[in-house]
Parts: sequence; C-alpha cells; structure tokens
Amino acid sequence: MGDYAVPAYFLLSHIVKNNVIKPKPITAKTIEIGNKYSPEFVCTPFKYTLGTLIEGIENGATILIQAGGGCRYGYYAELQEQIIKDLGYHVQFYNLVVAGTTNLKRIYKIMKEIDPKFSILKAIYYGTLTKQMIKYMDQMDHYIRANIGFETEKGSFETLKQQMLKEFSQVKTHIKLKKLYHKYQKKMRAIKIEKPKDTMKIGIIGELYTIMEPYSNYELEKNLASMNLEIKRYTDVYYLLFQKHKKVKKYLKNSAQYITYQMGADAADNIGRAKELCEEGYDGIIHIKSSFCTPEIGAMPVLSKICADYQVPIIFFSFDSATSEVGIKTRLEAFYDMLEMRKKK
Amino acid sequence: MDKIKIGIPRALHYYYYGALWKSFLEELGFETIISPETTNKTLEQGTEIANSEMCLSLKIYLGHVAYLQSRCDYILVPRIDNYGTYEQTCTNFLGLYDIVANLFTNKLLTYNVDEAHHQSEQNAFIKLGLTLGKGKEQSILAYQNSKQKLEKIRKQNFKKEMEKLNSSNPKLLIVSHPYNLEDPYIGKTIKKILESLNVEYINGEYLTNEKSIQQGMKLSPNLYWKYNKELIGTIEEWKHKIDGILFLSAFPCGPDSLVNELMLRKIKMPHLNLIIDEESGSAGIETRLESFIDILGQTTK
Amino acid sequence: MKKGYLGIDIGSISTKGVILDENNEIIESSYIWTEGNPIDAVKRLLNQLQNKIDIPIYGIGTTGSARKLIGLMVDADVVKNEITAHAIGTTHYYKDARTILEIGGQDSKLILLKDGIITDYAMNTLCAAGTGAFLSSQAKRLGVEIEDFGTLAVTSKNPVKIAARCTVFAESDLIHKAQVGYQKEDIIAGLCRSVVLNYLNNVGKGKKILEPIVFQGGVSKNKGVVKYFNEILKTKVIVDPNSHLMGAIGIAIMAHEHQSETPKNLELTNISFETKGRECEGCSNHCEILRIYKDHQFIESWGSKCGKVS
Repeated sequence: MGDYAVPAYFLLSHIVKNNVIKPKPITAKTIEIGNKYSPEFVCTPFKYTLGTLIEGIENGATILIQAGGGCRYGYYAELQEQIIKDLGYHVQFYNLVVAGTTNLKRIYKIMKEIDPKFSILKAIYYGTLTKQMIKYMDQMDHYIRANIGFETEKGSFETLKQQMLKEFSQVKTHIKLKKLYHKYQKKMRAIKIEKPKDTMKIGIIGELYTIMEPYSNYELEKNLASMNLEIKRYTDVYYLLFQKHKKVKKYLKNSAQYITYQMGADAADNIGRAKELCEEGYDGIIHIKSSFCTPEIGAMPVLSKICADYQVPIIFFSFDSATSEVGIKTRLEAFYDMLEMRKKK
Repeated sequence: MDKIKIGIPRALHYYYYGALWKSFLEELGFETIISPETTNKTLEQGTEIANSEMCLSLKIYLGHVAYLQSRCDYILVPRIDNYGTYEQTCTNFLGLYDIVANLFTNKLLTYNVDEAHHQSEQNAFIKLGLTLGKGKEQSILAYQNSKQKLEKIRKQNFKKEMEKLNSSNPKLLIVSHPYNLEDPYIGKTIKKILESLNVEYINGEYLTNEKSIQQGMKLSPNLYWKYNKELIGTIEEWKHKIDGILFLSAFPCGPDSLVNELMLRKIKMPHLNLIIDEESGSAGIETRLESFIDILGQTTK
Repeated sequence: MKKGYLGIDIGSISTKGVILDENNEIIESSYIWTEGNPIDAVKRLLNQLQNKIDIPIYGIGTTGSARKLIGLMVDADVVKNEITAHAIGTTHYYKDARTILEIGGQDSKLILLKDGIITDYAMNTLCAAGTGAFLSSQAKRLGVEIEDFGTLAVTSKNPVKIAARCTVFAESDLIHKAQVGYQKEDIIAGLCRSVVLNYLNNVGKGKKILEPIVFQGGVSKNKGVVKYFNEILKTKVIVDPNSHLMGAIGIAIMAHEHQSETPKNLELTNISFETKGRECEGCSNHCEILRIYKDHQFIESWGSKCGKVS
C-alpha cells in the first residue's frame, strides 16, 4: 500500500468506532506468508495482499476489508476469505467492490454491519476530506519524482514528505488540510536541487499495484533517482479513483492508430501514455507489472510497436517475489548507459 | 470474381461460436476457411510470435492466425468483452483484436460484444454485416438463422452428455474451457487416456444451460467471469450424478487460477487439478490421471 | 613509457582478466574458475597476470556480477554492468556489429546495436535454463566432459526434442529420453538445439536480429550451440577467438578512458579483504547485510533496504 496506508487509516478510523489496525509496510515476511498460501500462478498482488491480511489478523484484526476492483482484483476477496477460513482464523470479511463496480448501498450496508452507529454524514465528510488528502499527496509526489534525483542533500524530500503525512493524519477540516498543503508545498519547493539542463527523462507505466507499491517493484523509483533521472509516473490512487474513467477515453482516441478497444485494467491507459511520452520527447520508458498480469501482457506487443515507431527505448520488467534484485539493477544500469550513449550521439 | 475468403482461427472462442461465424459469413455469400486442428507446428509458430508470458491457449490462437495469414483476404478476430456486468470474459478476450492487429499485418474483421455498454451480440453482428457491405435486414436474418443453428448443435451436445450421466462406468466431469479440452494439443492426450481407462468423461461446457449461471453463483456468489461461472454451475447442478471432477486449465490462465483454487477448497468429491503448458509431457499426465482414476474406482465401488 | 589497462570480468562461474596496451591491443589475458569465491579468484587472477607482465597499470575496470565488490577491492576507476562492457568490447573488433548473442554461466543476454550504440537489449528473466551452468550439469548427468559436449553434438543427425524452458522440466525430460533409449549424441544435440530455441524465444523475443551477429560468452565455445544458431538463424554467427573475454576487454577499454594519473597497485596478495554477512533483525524484512573490510577496516556495507543500518 505504500504511503496510502495513511489516508486509508485516516478515513476508517474516523468513520467507524472500531479499533482500526494500521497495515504494516510490506516486508519479506509478508511475501513469505502470501506465497505460502496462494495458488501458484495467480498474479503477484494477490499474494502480497493475502500476506498483508494474514499479518493483520496476527496483529489482532477481527474484521478485514478488501476493496477489490477491476480485472482479477475484483475476485481476490472471495478466494482470500476462503483461504483465511481454511487456515482456521475466525474473522469477518467484507468486500466493498465486486466485478469492478460497487454502489453506495452496498458500502452503507457493510459499514452498518461493522459499526451499527455508522453515520453516513460523517462518512461523506471524511470521505471528501480523504479524497482531497490523496489529491494533495499525489500532486506532491509528481513534483518529488521529477526532482528527487537532484536534491543536494540526500533524503530531504523523503523526510519532508513523511512529516507532511504525519501532520495530514491529524487534520479535521478542509481549511486546515489546505493550509498544511500550502505550507509543505512551499517547503518542498525550497529544497535545494541541482538539475542540469539536459537531464534525461524517464516515464514509468504499467500495472497499478506493482507501480504503486515500492516493495513489490524493488524500490524502482529510488533506484532511478539515484541515477539522476527525472521520473514521470501517471498511475496513482487519485487517477484510478477519480480521473481514469474520463482519461481513458482520451487515451483511446489519441492512440487510435494502435488500438481500437480497451484491453482490460489499465492496458489502454498505458498504451496512450506510452505514445504521449514518446511525443513529449522522453528519453526512455519503463514498463512494470507483476508476473502473470494478463492485460499488461496483452499491451506489450502494442507498446513495443509504438516505441519502435518513435524510436524510444522501452524496457519491460515483470516482478514477482522470486525476481533477483541484482538482475534488476544490472538491467537498469544498462538501460541508463544505453540512453546516455544515444543522447551523446 | 472469386469470393472473398475469410479466415477463422480454430482456437479460443471458435469452440463456442465457430458454427455461428461460419454460417453467418457463408449465408452472406463469403467463403470461410478454418485453420486445421492444432499441431505441434501451430504451437511452435504461436510461441515464436507470442509474448513468452502469454497463456498457452493464446499462444495456440496466434499459431492459428499465423497459419491463415497468407491464405485468406480477412481474418475474423472478435472482441468479446461481456454479456453484462456480471458476465465478463477473460481480459485476453478483450485485448485479442488489438493484440492480433499489432502482431500481424493482415486485414482483420471484428465484432464487439459489450452488453454492459449496450452492445448486444445481434447489434455487433449487424455492424459486422454492414462492414462487409451487406444490408441490415439481411444481416439480422443471417444472424438469427445462424444462431438457431448454433443452438441446435448445443442442444445435441447437451443431450449426448446427459446420456453419459447414466453410464455404469466411473463418471468424471471435466471442468475446462472448451478451447482447452477440445483442442487436440491440450485435450486429445487426456481424452485418450481416459478412454483407455474406461472412464466416462463428461465435457462440462456441453452441459451448460440457461440455469448454469444461477447454479454457479451458489458456489461462488461474487464470480463475474461468464465462462467460469457457467462451468462451475454444472458442478452444482450434476454433483449427485458424477463420481469425480477433473479441472483442466492452460498455464497460466488468469480466471482459472482463482476460480479453480476456490473450487478445490470447496468441493468434497474426488478431484484432480491438471495444468497444461508447453512442457507437459504425456508421460507425466498419464501417471497422474491413472492414479486419480484408481482412487475414483475405489470410491465408486 | 608503456602503460597498461586492466579489465576484470567476474562471473558466477568464471573470472576473466585482460590487460590492454595504449592501442587497446591485448597484451595478456587470463581465464580462471570463480569457484564461488570472487575475492580469492581475483587474487589468483592478478597473481597470474603480474607474473606475465612488467608494465605499470594506469586504469582498472570491473564488470560482471561481482563488479561492485571487486571494484572496491582493486580500487577500480570504472565499475560497469556487463551489458555495456560486452557492447564496448565487441564493437572494438566488429565496428558494424548489429547483434550480440551472449550466453554465460548463469545468465544470457541479447544486445542490439547500431553504429556502435546500444539500441536495445534483453536478459534472461526466468532462471538459469539454457545457460552454461545448465549445460555443465546436464553434461555431468550424461557422463560427458563439457569440453567434448559440442564436438559430440555436431555428430548427431537426429537431435531429440527436449523441453528446456525450465531446468527442472528439462532434467526430467532428459532422463526420460535417456531411459527410452535415445542415442547420447542425439540427446546432447537436442540439448544444444533447445538452448538456442529457448534463447531465441525468451531473450530474443520480439527483437530484430540483424547481421552481423557476434556470439560470445562461455557457451560460444560450444560447437553444438553454434551449429544450431547458424541453422535456426539461417546465417553464420561470428565467434571471435576471444569471445569469452569480450566483457573484460570492454571494461578495460573503459578503464583506459578513465585512467588515473598514477600507476595502480596490483599487489593485493598481502592485503586482507573480508566480507561479513549478517541478517538484520531490525524489522521483519530481515535484510541480509554484507559488510566489507579492507585490512580489517570497515569500508562499506550493502543490502539494507531502509538505509539506516550499515
């Protein structure tokens, strides 16, 4: 879940009386647990989220909420519930989203079951506040990604962001949130950076979970930043929840010469983004996904074609828990060298 | 002038709708050419073209397209998204048209079924007819005639499989997408072995009917993949008439990876989960099937 | 005065070293087994090389999977990944090369070039199937010396089809084929052929392999594999006599470009260089931290995910 654990916890802890347990960051142990109890060739996020749920139970959770979504995500919850039951845990399991769709009635019913005193007004209030918080977080991240590779004092951005999240989690009103955001925006822009004029720019596209969960992509963005690259990434929670349905139509239209239909999950979005990155003069594209991610596998031939047409290098990474970290580093370094050689020419 | 030739790959949804396509196109005056049954060569060609992570069934599909590429004017590659919000298909079926369009240079024909967004199958076929320069009325008629033909075949298959349920041999329900079980590369070895062991195997797909979706939801209430839902519906409906279940899937099938796992955990009768990939030697399959049938024999005695 | 430049390529199976002169010509080279101990292997390598030459070394470069560790140990001027090193080494000899096929001990790569610039590359992602280590272990299983493997393979007229996408599958298939009674040379040829097919279908997937094609890495010494590359690509791949040294040559050329002002000290035999591994208990990540000591002095550590531990 990365930093999104902060707004998720924020929302739940305000709208239900129950004791909400913070998910711990994903670690090697989470993955070990997830792998052990998952079917072999399910996509990797299933394994990671299963591990997270079981760790949650071991930390005392008695109610589990899984949000699901499109593609295979929407069906995770039902199987995960069965697996957890078969392991002998006695917990209540709630699934908010089915078949990529949900409605307020379903969510209301579930929340009422979890907490009979659940108030819809309070939920709407904190819901909009959380939405705004996520928007601010994501905007901040866009700036950080473009600049973190050039900070003169290592760690400045990360430290400041963590401070911001800590203060965010204490807010009660929209006004306060906005004030905090502006305060941190100023601080963020004051961080000293040394950015050469001809910096190389890289776009990251791919499957949503792996792209947003730093542990599952072996800290790809950190690695790239240490190579002094400017990074652009489109997928974030705000995009997925509030912008995707509009944007994807635009992407489809812009890449009509390559694709006609949506190809499931974010495949069409990524195809549109790849074309956009090529047109905007990015030096290279990195495509990442978890192993066995069907929609992104389907997108790969299209992505290769676009990048060949525009002569922009693209590299594909398929991550699972068995990926060798050394191998990733070697390939990233070679990618960097390749881009540098091209640029010098 | 020669008739326009339209190629149909004998893979994936061919095993559901092949008869419908052939009849529709021929009624409108086109010649159809269906790629021959899968061979090792088909798979080899498909593997060469496909991304290595694609599933075996898709690799086979691409092998069939490769066969057709120099033998026809158009290749029919449908795009079937869903038959309603809770009757979706695998994302490969969503992406298929664009995957083929980017891997091959052939001219393609397609139709798009997306009932969640008001694109019914009939509408899709009318549009297909229009693209081929035929009138609306003519296309509707051809579609309806062809649909009837398909229904007739389905009814015949259903009757045949129902009769098998009365057999005195051990009865094994095979839960498998028809493009796997009916494909010679994937299914033939398995059928042969089962025949040699005197097992009455029943193709779950042939047993699906209008009740299957409802039945399937009893086993998995949140399931939204049409084909899987219908298949597990047959388990629920005929569980008292069968002795065991064989789950057969192609590596690494997305929907099967979750649905079959859930079934393995819920089903109480003897079952075997077979996953086929390019490397599956027949020797290994034989051993596993034999020992499974031994167990089946003991429980039915 | 003459100056030399040293390139070291430390792979999982073998360690290669070359010394180049001012014109980037090879003065001396050495090839030894890593035997799971890169530090010791490099000490042996340097000993061998020093005994053969008497010119001062003005630049050192390291590449290969142990490049970072050895880079610290020998105080390298340049530490680069093996993909870049191979490309630079190869284009030094074959300026117009468009494709480099490389199969080493643990991994395999494909590099595409244009005008001496890397335009695309790929590395094996699944496992060691079809690499040098895999071939050696299968040779052992069949009771054939790895050196004779290729020679035996080319005598076969009917290579057996062997499934080699995965080492585990390949092994069982191989045992099965041997049990059924296939000839040894046909099985060996089948293995070589499947290495090529596997490579082209995985590493080479979707890549345009254009000529001239240069084949290198340890496995390029295997005549069987070369034969099937030629057969399947319907062309003749180039195998340089120094094909196994290309990575070391490439990194030596880069060291030449980055040379130091003063000669380097290669006298490492008496310097102690140690690594100590431990599992950090700080959180449930249990990172494996590797600490490196030169002459009992701590110099660096790797492996901590949070960056707080050294």
